[in-house]
Amino acid sequence: MSDRAAEDLGRRTHPMTGLVQGLLWGAAAFVALIGSILSRRDGGLESILFGVGGAAVGGLLIGLLAGYVSWYFTRFVIDGTELRITRGFLTKQSRRIPFERIQSVDVAEPFIARIVGLAELRVEMAGGNESRTTLRYLPLNDVRDLRRLLLARAHGEEIADDTGPKDDQRSLITRVPPQRIIVGTLLSLDFLGAVLALICVVVIGVVSQQVLIVLGGVLPFGGAVVQIVAKRILEQWDFTLSRGARGLRIERGLLSRTSQTIPYDRVQGIAIKEPFVWRRLGWQRLEVDVAGYAAQGDDSGSSSTSTLLPISDPALAEAVIAELVPSRTEQITTDRPTRRSRLFAPIGWRFRWIEARTGVVVSQIGWIERTTCLVPHHKSQSVELRQGPLQRWRGVATVEVHTPPGPVDVDGDHLDATAARRFWEEQVARRT
Amino acid sequence: MTGVVPLVVLAIALAVAAALVPGWAWLPALGAVIALGGAVWAWRWAERNRRSWGYVETDEELLITSGVWFRRLVAVPYGRMQFVDVQAGPLQRLYGIATVTLHTASAETAAAIPGVRSDEATRLRNRLTELGESRGAGV
Repeated sequence: MSDRAAEDLGRRTHPMTGLVQGLLWGAAAFVALIGSILSRRDGGLESILFGVGGAAVGGLLIGLLAGYVSWYFTRFVIDGTELRITRGFLTKQSRRIPFERIQSVDVAEPFIARIVGLAELRVEMAGGNESRTTLRYLPLNDVRDLRRLLLARAHGEEIADDTGPKDDQRSLITRVPPQRIIVGTLLSLDFLGAVLALICVVVIGVVSQQVLIVLGGVLPFGGAVVQIVAKRILEQWDFTLSRGARGLRIERGLLSRTSQTIPYDRVQGIAIKEPFVWRRLGWQRLEVDVAGYAAQGDDSGSSSTSTLLPISDPALAEAVIAELVPSRTEQITTDRPTRRSRLFAPIGWRFRWIEARTGVVVSQIGWIERTTCLVPHHKSQSVELRQGPLQRWRGVATVEVHTPPGPVDVDGDHLDATAARRFWEEQVARRT
Repeated sequence: MTGVVPLVVLAIALAVAAALVPGWAWLPALGAVIALGGAVWAWRWAERNRRSWGYVETDEELLITSGVWFRRLVAVPYGRMQFVDVQAGPLQRLYGIATVTLHTASAETAAAIPGVRSDEATRLRNRLTELGESRGAGV
């Protein structure tokens, strides 16, 4: 409110923003309008064609107008301490992003924007549902410069806007070939499950000769199969992981490209996932906990955003992990659930453990999909010891190390009650 | 506390109904007795629940314990605290108490301490904020 003048001084984003955003919103409006037109089933072919054409033109007009207005009223300023974005026509919104609060900075190129050479900037802060700030759209080079600037400022370095290297020196860690992503997706548990369900539905339908069953089952399960393939393969196409001065860089995507930077000191924990079929082949998936990443449920989805390596062999995974969390650790204690916890996990109890090492706490869970989580002691937020009535009856308790929302969950489920208490006390005392 | 008031209201309503409806009087009357019994139980349970809440300030962390059936013990290091909330609704203000909530970068922490006296709540908030700033590591 106080800096009314500063608002008007700010830069606008690229003028094409209105058009690109308008096309996106227009498509959405078209879909919304066409539904109501087609459901009206009166009149002949001409009236339907007319309605569809009207929906297309109307949706486009609404989208373009909204896109233009939102572009016109969006401005951003970068000063010595923060990035400030003001937007909104009726309700003014002004957001300040202090540099030291920045968790990560991503560059995304949605498909339509990419065609015209534009990109959006995503800045993540810790906490809350609205921790992500997007600035759309700017020319790709401008966005890259902005990212470089913000990342440098986030680390408390002063660099002039135009000097310095165009991109920091980076060395390639790995590039995951697309065919490996495809094979990995085809062998992943959720894909196999969806396909199996699809086959079952078709077989049941054919045997019982009920067309309705086939249709009712094919649509959701077929949709799931398509969605899994589209999500994994399109989003993780040409997945490239490289190492820079400030953090790891991830570049991925076939139609929409995304370029993420994960600063080394912002990694809150790592999860290693090994689904059943992958384990045979020695493959692993690495996911990373970065504050702010898990809060989104938008187009890119949290699962892709937090993926550090979609598929890799153990040696490479170990090398990447060693860069992000303390490695060469010594084991201090290992705790497994007691036999008394069979009640809670009849098979799974044998496959769980939690281990304290120097520098990190590690836990493993799961026998169909084995998940191993690592959290450095200096990143653990709080430590919980809990016991429900059934657990009290069996003499067991659960220890949990809290981390920011994300794929990483370090739990010691249903340990012996005294062991859990001891682990909790020791973990609370561990600082580094 | 929250369970007691509606149950008492329900019991009174059913008792009134029993007085007004002559033929089936025993049914609402039975309901009233059950509701009253529930209210007594809730009242006693509220006391146990209240006693289960507790917190300790140690050198490096705040320990919070809660729960009668589902017991919970959470240790929050001062340096991990992002911010501290003090909340008091109209009923809480009437009794001069407040709820102190600690927020870390993790949503799972969920460290709330209900029923703290207002002056103690303010003191706790200031103390925790101060400690958080001096230890501050954050995320």
